[in-house]
Amino acid sequence: MGIQIMELIDREDHQKLYFQLYEILRKKIEGNEWPICSQIPTEEDLCRMFNVSRATVRTAVMELVRQGYLKRQQGKGTFIFRNIGSEGLTMLTSLQEILFEKGFQVTTIVLERSVMMPIGDLDLKLRVPKDKHIIYIKRLRLIDNEPVLLQESYVPYNICPLLLEEDVENQLLFDIFEKKYGMKITRVENHIEIAYITSDEARIIGLAEGSPAILLNQYFYSGEALVMYTRSIKRTDRFKFLINLERKAA
Amino acid sequence: MSNSKAAKDIMIGIFEYPHVPYWFTISQAIRIVKVSFISTKKYPDPLAILVFDEKYNLMGTLTLKDILRGLEPRFLKPSEKAQVPVEDESALSLIWDTLFEKGSKEFAERPVSEIMTPAKYFVEPTDPLTKAAYLMLHHDLILLPVLENKKKFVGLVRMIEIFDSISDAILKE
Repeated sequence: MGIQIMELIDREDHQKLYFQLYEILRKKIEGNEWPICSQIPTEEDLCRMFNVSRATVRTAVMELVRQGYLKRQQGKGTFIFRNIGSEGLTMLTSLQEILFEKGFQVTTIVLERSVMMPIGDLDLKLRVPKDKHIIYIKRLRLIDNEPVLLQESYVPYNICPLLLEEDVENQLLFDIFEKKYGMKITRVENHIEIAYITSDEARIIGLAEGSPAILLNQYFYSGEALVMYTRSIKRTDRFKFLINLERKAA
Repeated sequence: MSNSKAAKDIMIGIFEYPHVPYWFTISQAIRIVKVSFISTKKYPDPLAILVFDEKYNLMGTLTLKDILRGLEPRFLKPSEKAQVPVEDESALSLIWDTLFEKGSKEFAERPVSEIMTPAKYFVEPTDPLTKAAYLMLHHDLILLPVLENKKKFVGLVRMIEIFDSISDAILKE
């Protein structure tokens, strides 16, 4: 990769150095000056190129990794992963699906918000050690006062400790991550299957035990980091799935 | 005594201990003990799990003794610290020969809230250390929760720090 520096850090600027560097690097990626799959200069090179400290470079690069622009490969270096920040296909469908049908009154009841240790295969699902604390949020969504969706969300405690104090009744966890904590969700992996509900789930969602329901397992990523796993049980009679495939213009 | 320390000066963080919701089963708690303490050989003093309600309020603590008592139906009856002479231990073998045999597996599927030691006493962060000492000694507590404004759970007082602070003051005097 050629080292051609057009933009430089402005030390008189009120914005922090790492943010300026982040903006410069982001433009290089978005403008294809640094093409997808190519390797970016090493931390040392970036320090020299922009006359900034290693800590500044590291913070700017980490932010680009977190937003999904860059990918780190151990022992090899850091590579351009994609040239747009997020808003992939899965993101759109999952958001449309979360936001429910229009025209209905949607309410949320927080059934539980607590902290637990990973049981079962939660450690594998969240990629955390078995002795790490996890924030657990269990919510029931009602449409016109009828329970339709039971959602359990699991977030490693160290990802967002303040989630325990946020209003999770009126806000999407997704929005809390992005708007309050600047943690952009860059990818949502959805696994959809049909499941038969347990007696506890049946009692809450108002169906008979063993009734079929849609089980949606979602994995939320910010860059390379897995920040949340959500398990949702949906009544089959109230949900339709829309998968909208769209080809991006070349 | 002239010890001016407050609970907040000696409390430890709540994340030093595993957290579980009240509906976790005893067998899930056992797995947590294995993973958090036994397999890592980390033995915090005292060895306990914190049990929370659905709004993340502390409900109680769960010790290894609580768990073993919970697995054995006959231990569930409240233990009386009766002032009676020590029984002939050979007769007691009739009891322990059959301990943890019948019903323990089924009992392991009950919620931890049924077997935990409920958290009834607490101190505020600014309460004097001596109040914490009094509560822990008087009620034979292994951990004493520190609650801010009677609500937010911010720390735990242990006997080791109480002992350390009080003994320092005594030795100085």
